[in-house]
Amino acid sequence: MDEKIHLDLQDFSEEQFMESFLKEIQSEEAVFILGIFLALALVVLTVVFFGNFWGSSKARNAVLLLGLCDSGKTLLFTRLLLGKFVRTQTSITESSATYKSKDDRGGSWTLIDVPGHESLRVQIVEKHKAVARAVVFVVDSSIFQKDVRDVAEFLYSILTDNIVAKNAPTLVVACNKQDISMAKSAKLIQQQLEKEMNTLRLTRSAALSSQDGAVGGSVYLGKKGKDFEFSQLPNRVEFIECSARGSKDDGGADIDAIEKCLAKL
Amino acid sequence: MLDFFSIFSKGGIVLWCFQGAGVSESFTGPVNALIRSVILQERSGNNSFTHNALSLKYKLDNEFELVFVVGFQKILTLTYVDKFIDDVQLHFRDRYKNELEQRGALKFLLNNFEFGDDFHRLLREAEVSSKAKAPASMRNFNESEKSKKTVKSMIETKDGDKSKEQGGKKSKNAKKEAESGGDQAKAASQTASKKAVENGNEGLTQEEIIERNRAKFISKQLGGGKAEKPSKSPKPQKPKGKVNRVWDMSGKSIGELDYSGTNGNNSSDAQNQDPDATAEPLIQVDSMKGDLRGVDYESSDDDDDDEDEVVQEEERVVVANTKKGAKKGGFGGMFGMLKGLVGSKNLTQEDMEPVLEKMRDHLIAKNVAAEISSQLCNSVAKKLEGKVMGTFTTVASTVKQALQDSLVQILQPKRRVDILRDVLEARSQRKPFVITFCGVNGVGKSTNLAKISYWLIENGFTVLIAACDTFRAGAVEQLRTHQRRLNSLHPLEKHGGQPAVQLFEKGYGKDAAGIAMEAIAFARNQVFDVVLIDTAGRMQDNGPLMTALAKLIAVNTPDLVLFVGEALVGNEAVDQLVKFNQALADHSKTDKPRLIDGIVLTKFDTIDDKVGAAISMTYITGQPIVFVGTGQTYSDLRSLNARAVVSALMKA
Repeated sequence: MDEKIHLDLQDFSEEQFMESFLKEIQSEEAVFILGIFLALALVVLTVVFFGNFWGSSKARNAVLLLGLCDSGKTLLFTRLLLGKFVRTQTSITESSATYKSKDDRGGSWTLIDVPGHESLRVQIVEKHKAVARAVVFVVDSSIFQKDVRDVAEFLYSILTDNIVAKNAPTLVVACNKQDISMAKSAKLIQQQLEKEMNTLRLTRSAALSSQDGAVGGSVYLGKKGKDFEFSQLPNRVEFIECSARGSKDDGGADIDAIEKCLAKL
Repeated sequence: MLDFFSIFSKGGIVLWCFQGAGVSESFTGPVNALIRSVILQERSGNNSFTHNALSLKYKLDNEFELVFVVGFQKILTLTYVDKFIDDVQLHFRDRYKNELEQRGALKFLLNNFEFGDDFHRLLREAEVSSKAKAPASMRNFNESEKSKKTVKSMIETKDGDKSKEQGGKKSKNAKKEAESGGDQAKAASQTASKKAVENGNEGLTQEEIIERNRAKFISKQLGGGKAEKPSKSPKPQKPKGKVNRVWDMSGKSIGELDYSGTNGNNSSDAQNQDPDATAEPLIQVDSMKGDLRGVDYESSDDDDDDEDEVVQEEERVVVANTKKGAKKGGFGGMFGMLKGLVGSKNLTQEDMEPVLEKMRDHLIAKNVAAEISSQLCNSVAKKLEGKVMGTFTTVASTVKQALQDSLVQILQPKRRVDILRDVLEARSQRKPFVITFCGVNGVGKSTNLAKISYWLIENGFTVLIAACDTFRAGAVEQLRTHQRRLNSLHPLEKHGGQPAVQLFEKGYGKDAAGIAMEAIAFARNQVFDVVLIDTAGRMQDNGPLMTALAKLIAVNTPDLVLFVGEALVGNEAVDQLVKFNQALADHSKTDKPRLIDGIVLTKFDTIDDKVGAAISMTYITGQPIVFVGTGQTYSDLRSLNARAVVSALMKA
């Protein structure tokens, strides 16, 4: 019985409290209410602001491994992480892992190995491009002559992407498979790519717009009127040679250059 | 006997592999081919694939993101492979469950997957079990039931010679030891029928017996009678000598069968028809006076009725099934739903089935070809089976997302599509870039050819149009009108005195392949950048015309063979593309035939959001859609935006 009475009293008191609260609010002057609302709005704004800033600086810590099919990305991924050799097949999904550079100074990055197959790479790059701090573009140096147009097209589509152009991540072009005797040097690859990108600037800007009227990639690389050079880009660009497989099968891979680059990020 | 077995992660790292004895070549190539042609093209409906001399079977493990592939010689038919792969998969999962449940890609690299012993043990078990199932050996005669019966009981009283036959047969049986089961069954049925006949036929004459047999036979046919098999066709009573066969049209003499007079001298040469048009037997002048007659409606009505009945039956069956399914769901379903919310539920085939059905119907409603929709849904099911759903995701949303991803994947071009770049390359090699347009009648080849030449001229190239449509009335004139209009839009001064577009034509009735060859030679001499070859529209099952097209392409080896298809086409797209590709492959003399390289999707402005034809065409050929035609003016030419098309497709 006592309890019941107690409960009743409690309910009653709560109601009263609510009513009194409302009455108080209504009786307050308008200024106070306005002040309260303004304070709340400010708090919300600051939270959102910080969230943005935090989000952007926190999020951009990924290093993307991009390149055509069979250029050696997955093996490079393994070598960078663990230094050991594994057999690989064509990747179907992306793999990501945390990479800690050997120097003590270097930070830790999320290394993302993106499949090179044409039907997959566009969607996966879409997912991860916003968080890219650096892009390691792996090129197969031994068959580069044959594939130069495909390589250039992929590189061009990445560089002219709006988000990538805005963030300007560091671009490291890794000329892989240097252990094969036919491999081209990094300097030669750079020259060929520059020539090809020059032509692509023309043809891609003249390409047809897509059916809903959107014109893709309105970013213009380099300077108008002058031949394209990688030094004209706002990103930091480096061309290095490496060999993920190494000259002997079990021997260490020749990837010191890449590791140094990543440490400098 | 297996050539190799490989277990690798979907990220590409090989966890464990086995190479059979005596196999020297690496299996990386075939497995890569398997991945590229089957898994990435969403053809994972059936799980086997052949590559040169190897036959590959695979299994996806979606929970831990693994792929199991086994390869063996194509000529061997190993029956245990399917079950073997399943066993290996289960075993591998159980053994390495802990390692595989870690997160991140490092789990594949850090752990050592020593699977060799288990694998060999499973392989031995599989081989042994396949050998063990030898067919049951036949009973020999002494063990059979027949030897237990007396000869007399099996003899027919009625026909003397029949009993003799029977006796003869039985003695033959007695001589042979291992008879096949069929003979025994035949003998058994013979005895059954003979016994029946024997019972009822005492004392009747030959003809009456035949009559009665016939009546019984007919009644049995109508009433769906029992095991009374009709007795073996009685050796036909060779009756009254041979009777002359009487044909329906009998009685006519040779002279009457000669019809050459009436149809006369109308050859099918299209050229000479102009003065002889009135003599064509098919056209009766004055027959089209007055209102047009309606289409013949009776047959179509019948078909419609039948179709409706079938559809209703199917609907009833489907409704019954879903009702049953819903009832069974019930309690278990609620628990499953809770588990699904938490995020530890594995997707099974039954969960996905209703959602996939709905998606299949949705795709078909959006004009995707029916068999392509079902293949796509099967492939998505295979990709999702066993996957663990994330928190707060429903089965429907997971399936929809997976389907969306695979549709975008299909529409992404598998090779670089940049015509302008390729034309520049050809120009630097001093040869013209040749594009051929082929397709069925009325899809818009000539219109889109004009649009493409406008685009090329705008970008500073000189174009030669080859009029290889020598059949359709007015085809050459149509192209000439386009040429004149294009030239007036781009005056001569801008192109260094040379007209931007020229037409190469040789009139009507000539061989298209020859005209194409001359056009290409002319272009090379006059330094044209691009040659656009317009061919006549043809139905895909018209043999001679398909041969002619294949010959044109094989002889002239164009740089780009574009198939022009309209976006309105439905299931026909599959048939058209398959038959076109087949014709091109069959009639080319080389072992690497030129097939269709790209697709032009026309009349895109006429479909609202029923854009399924794009999916059907790219799925069937694997080639990208290079151009999209969206209207009749020169500027109505676009490129394909895969994302927009897929979102239009998945819209409710």
